[in-house]
Amino acid sequence: MIEIKNLSLHLGNFFLRDINLTIDDREYFVILGPTGAGKTVLIECLAGLHRLRKGEIWRDGNNATALAPEEREIGYVPQDYALFPFLNVLGNITFGLREKKYPKTEIKEKAKSLAHLLGISHLLNRDVRALSGGEKQRIALARALATSPRILLLDEPLSSLDVSTSKYLRLELRRFHEELEITTIHVTHNLMEAEEMADRIGILNKGKLEQVGTSEEVFFYPKNETVSDFIGTPNILNCNHCNPLGHGLMEAHCGGVPIILPYEGDVVKRIALFPKDIYVSASKPPGPELNRFKGVVTEIKPYSSLIRFKVKVGENTLLTELPKDRFEDMGIKLGQEVFLILKLRRLRVY
Amino acid sequence: MSVFQVLKGVRGERVFRIATMGILAFLTLFFIIIVVAMVAYTDWATLISTLISEEILFAIKLSLITATVASIITIAIAIPVAYAISQAEFPGKNIVDTILDLPIVISPIALGAALLVFSNTPIGRGIENNIIRFVFEVPGIILAQFTVISALAVRLLKSTFDSIDPRYEQVGRTLGCSKLKVFFRVTLPLARDGLIASSILTWAKAMGEFGATVTLAGATTFKTETLPIAIFLSLASADVEKAVAVIFILIVIAAASLIALRKISGRSYQI
Repeated sequence: MIEIKNLSLHLGNFFLRDINLTIDDREYFVILGPTGAGKTVLIECLAGLHRLRKGEIWRDGNNATALAPEEREIGYVPQDYALFPFLNVLGNITFGLREKKYPKTEIKEKAKSLAHLLGISHLLNRDVRALSGGEKQRIALARALATSPRILLLDEPLSSLDVSTSKYLRLELRRFHEELEITTIHVTHNLMEAEEMADRIGILNKGKLEQVGTSEEVFFYPKNETVSDFIGTPNILNCNHCNPLGHGLMEAHCGGVPIILPYEGDVVKRIALFPKDIYVSASKPPGPELNRFKGVVTEIKPYSSLIRFKVKVGENTLLTELPKDRFEDMGIKLGQEVFLILKLRRLRVY
Repeated sequence: MSVFQVLKGVRGERVFRIATMGILAFLTLFFIIIVVAMVAYTDWATLISTLISEEILFAIKLSLITATVASIITIAIAIPVAYAISQAEFPGKNIVDTILDLPIVISPIALGAALLVFSNTPIGRGIENNIIRFVFEVPGIILAQFTVISALAVRLLKSTFDSIDPRYEQVGRTLGCSKLKVFFRVTLPLARDGLIASSILTWAKAMGEFGATVTLAGATTFKTETLPIAIFLSLASADVEKAVAVIFILIVIAAASLIALRKISGRSYQI
């Protein structure tokens, strides 16, 4: 178990303010926050890369605050991976093992099994400078895992990858985590990434830990306006009952609105839906009637370059948004009837 | 109408290009003409006999030994100094940085004279009488070369260390290296090209050092006569052939150093 107690730090433009956090063994914990929130500084503190003036870090009941990075039994994957360019892939993976004077046979075996687990066996003799982003990420991960650390620190591990590689590696990271049962702390600014991967999420903003909870808690019960602003103020639909339709589909009735969605579970209790994920049309759109609803505009508010407006559908009032020029082109007025289409893939279901 | 208004558009681009390329050609030709004139002046039979004369062979040997020793000492000291200035924050860092830069801009003769004056102070005399003699001796050549080239080595190595992302060291630490170990296992391998380039440049500069050397170590034949001093002594005695022979050696050494430098690190470490 990792305990961060009253940690405060000021480092150039970044600072952390009175952070208190407990992370359980084998947990996948995601620190989520906007750029400049202090996320990287926080995991660097856990790695022992900054001397703390205020606050403590405890591990398994022992004060680890004063331990040097090499004494902390951590694996660290920085944002840009920082693979050593003077070593090939194998040299990078086995770097820590060689420094810790593991026997040669063990080094060889460990490198082999890690390369197999991460699917990089074919890359071992390659120059690290000639690899793709996804390959570099796996090698950095293999290097961090080679010395069997007790905690894995991942700093924006997917941010420099293309969308499809990033999506694939999210699943892979979860798989490695489950296989190796290693406490993992993952830093990201990407909401979907956090939601998909985390056992629990900690929302960090301007150096302050605003809320810690499961993704459900964070989405449905944002503790304050900062969290709800960062999450993006989702529409929360409470569902009264639901009918499984077979083939992995579920029909959920939420305040008089029937929504059909892919869902493998038993019961849909709540659905979260972001304003940007609702398609709005002033006239009846063509196509099947699936997840399309007619509603009345009840409130219109400018929101930076957007217009946010509320639409009453059944017993629910959904917040939605459009770019200002698009909104004006459509000529939407208070009390007008509009059509909403819910983007199926963007529904968050609990 | 100003020149800026006249030279507008494509015509202006062309004139600008011709002007800069013309000046570039002038400067290049200036150096080529000097070398060609020297080649034309040279009597090759005299040149070869001069090259294998005992005095010049001694000067070559002395220059090679002193420049190599001075470079090794310089690099060994410049590595930690450059690393400290690049990575550490401490009060008065700018002042220290400026002091270390001074030898680059001060005339080498002034540096040599300062060393000579220092050798006459009680501390200097103590060192001269009890530890090692520098004035008019071979160690004086090494000290003079060290004084002139150390600032250059620090400057070059500092820019090398500046360009290394601290993330590499941080990752090295989390992989089990202490601060000292990570310096040798991660930082120095990352600085390899810069290190080699700095060594070549400082060595080449030491080979050509004259002002500080002649002031501190003097110009005694078969004792403190390095290659640049040999040129000075030859010209002083109106032996132009000998001077030309030594100039050729220095040009060959300089060209070889620059070729090696380009091979290692492209254009990034040229002065």
